[in-house]
Amino acid sequence: MNVALSRTGGWLLRGFFAVVVVFLYAPIAILVIFSFNDSQLPTFPLSGFTFHWYHQFLADADLRSALAASAIVAAISSLGAVLLGVAASIALVRRRFPAKGPVSALLLSPLVIPYVVFGISLLLFFHAVGLSRSLLTVVIGHVVISLPYTILVLMPRLQQIDVSLEEAAYNLGAGRLRAFRSVTLPLLLPAVVSAYLIAFTTSFDEYAVASFVVGTRTTFPIFLYSALRFPNQLPQVIAVAVVVISVSLIVVIGAEVGRRLVERRLGAATG
Amino acid sequence: MDVPPARRRRRRPRLDLTTPTLLGLPLGWLAVFFVVPIAIVGAYSVDALSLDPGPHAVTLDAWHAFLQSSIYLSLFWKSVKMSLLVSTVVVLLAYPLAYYLALSGTKRKYVLLLLLIAPFLTSYLLRVLAWKVILGNQGVINSFLVWTGLRDPDHPISQLLYSRFAVMLVLGYIWLPFVALPIFVTLESLDRRLFEAATDLGASRLQTFRRVTLPLSLPGIMAAFLFVFIPTLGEFVTPSLVGGTSGYMYGNQIVDLFGTGFPDWETGSVLALFLLGIVTILTIVFSRFLGTRQAPA
Repeated sequence: MNVALSRTGGWLLRGFFAVVVVFLYAPIAILVIFSFNDSQLPTFPLSGFTFHWYHQFLADADLRSALAASAIVAAISSLGAVLLGVAASIALVRRRFPAKGPVSALLLSPLVIPYVVFGISLLLFFHAVGLSRSLLTVVIGHVVISLPYTILVLMPRLQQIDVSLEEAAYNLGAGRLRAFRSVTLPLLLPAVVSAYLIAFTTSFDEYAVASFVVGTRTTFPIFLYSALRFPNQLPQVIAVAVVVISVSLIVVIGAEVGRRLVERRLGAATG
Repeated sequence: MDVPPARRRRRRPRLDLTTPTLLGLPLGWLAVFFVVPIAIVGAYSVDALSLDPGPHAVTLDAWHAFLQSSIYLSLFWKSVKMSLLVSTVVVLLAYPLAYYLALSGTKRKYVLLLLLIAPFLTSYLLRVLAWKVILGNQGVINSFLVWTGLRDPDHPISQLLYSRFAVMLVLGYIWLPFVALPIFVTLESLDRRLFEAATDLGASRLQTFRRVTLPLSLPGIMAAFLFVFIPTLGEFVTPSLVGGTSGYMYGNQIVDLFGTGFPDWETGSVLALFLLGIVTILTIVFSRFLGTRQAPA
C-alpha cells in the first residue's frame, strides 16, 4: 500500500499532471500549427498549408546574422563560464580555505540578482571605463550569469568522485594538474558537458542583460524582441520560434539522457 | 595504515598555492564585472558619478526623493502584489505535481519530470510570443470565438492582451515548470519510514500529510516561492511585451529611467539599488531560515 497516496488520489493527481502538461505544451503546439498556416495573421480559421514562412526566414540575412552572433556569444561565454566554474568547484569541494561561506555565496549570487539591476550595472560600468558596447560586452555579462549554473551542475558530480582516486594518483607521483587531467577530468566530463550546454542555452536565450550591453550587431533575442513589434514579420518569427524551440528541446532532452547513460556507466566503473 | 582519516587529511596541506590559483579567476571575474558595476550604480545613486559634466557633491537627494515619492513606491508595491500572487498560485499548482512525481511510486518519474521541466529550458521570449499570438485581439482565442460564432467580430475580448492579467498569466506559465523542481527534490529526499511510522501510529493519509509531509517539505516550498518571486519582482520583459500600461511594473520604470527618452541615471540607480536591497534581504533571511531548519536534522 502506498502510504502517501490513495488510489483515487493517485488518479486525481495523474489527471491534474496531464492537464498541466497540456497547458504547458499547448502554446508551443499552437506556434507549430500557425508556422505552417498560409496567412499573414495567426487567426482561425486556418487558411492552408505552406512552407513559405520557413523559406522566408532562411532568406532573411538580418535574422541569420543575429543567430550567428548569438551562437558565437553563447559558445565563447559558456566556455569561459565552464572554465571558471570547474576551477571554482574544485576549490569549493576539494580544498579548505578561510571564508568559504562568503566565497561560495558570492560565486552563486548572480543567480538571485534581478537581471534589470545587473544589466544597468554593466551598462554604467562599461560607460565608466569607456568600453563601447559590442558582442564582447555581452559575452562578459553572460559569463557572470552562467557561472553559478555551471557550479551548481559541477559540484554535486565532483562530490561523488572518490577523493581516494586522486590520492592514489598523488601516491603514484602525479602532480595536482596531472592528477586532475588523468583522473578527475575524465570522470567529471559528463557534468562538464551538461554545464556547457546549460550555459550555452542560457546565453543563447538571454535578452534582459544583453538588451543593456549589446552594440549595433544584435543577438537573436534582441532581434526577436524588435521583430515582435512589427506585425508583418510575425509569421516568419513564429517559424523561427518553432525551429529554435524544437532544437533546444532536442538538445536538452538528449543531453540529459546522454548524461544519465554515461554517468551510469562511470558509476559502474568506479564502484 | 592505521592513521585515522581526519589526521591523514590534515597531513596533506589543503591550503596551498593552487587554491588561490583556482579561486583567483572566478573571484576576479566577479569582482570586476559584478561587484564593481554594482558599486558604480551606488556611486550614481548618490551623485558621486553623473551624466552631467563638472564637479559634484555627494548627495542623498535622490534617495530622499525616492522614499517620499508616492509614484515609485506604489509602483513597487503593485509589482510586489503581482509577484506575490503569481508565486503563490504557481507554488500551489506545482506542489501536487511534485508530490505526484516524488511519492506516487511511478517508475517513470524522471521522464515525467523532464517532460514537465523541458518547456522552461526553451526560449523565454518565444514562450511570451506564443501567448501574444494566443491572447491578441486578432489572436487565436478571439479569432476562434468569432469563427465559432461565440463572439461578435466587432467585440473581441480585449482585456486578454495588454493587461495585468496577461502579465501574471504569462509569468505563471513561464515559471510553473521550474518551481516543481525544488519541491520535488525535498519530497524525494524525505525518509519514507516517517510515513510508515505515522501510519503505524494510526494517522490517516491526510493527517500524515498535514503533520509530517507538509512541514518537512516547507524548505522546498520556500525555495520554490523565492525562485519565482525574486525574478518576477524585477521583471520588465514580459510586462513590456504583454502588459500595456496597466501591466507596467517596477522593472519597466527602471529601464525607462535609463532609456533614451528622459534619462535620469541618478533616480534609476536608486530604484535599482532599492530592488537589489530587498532581494538581498529576502535571500539572506531565507537562507538563515533554511540553515536553522536543517541544523537539528
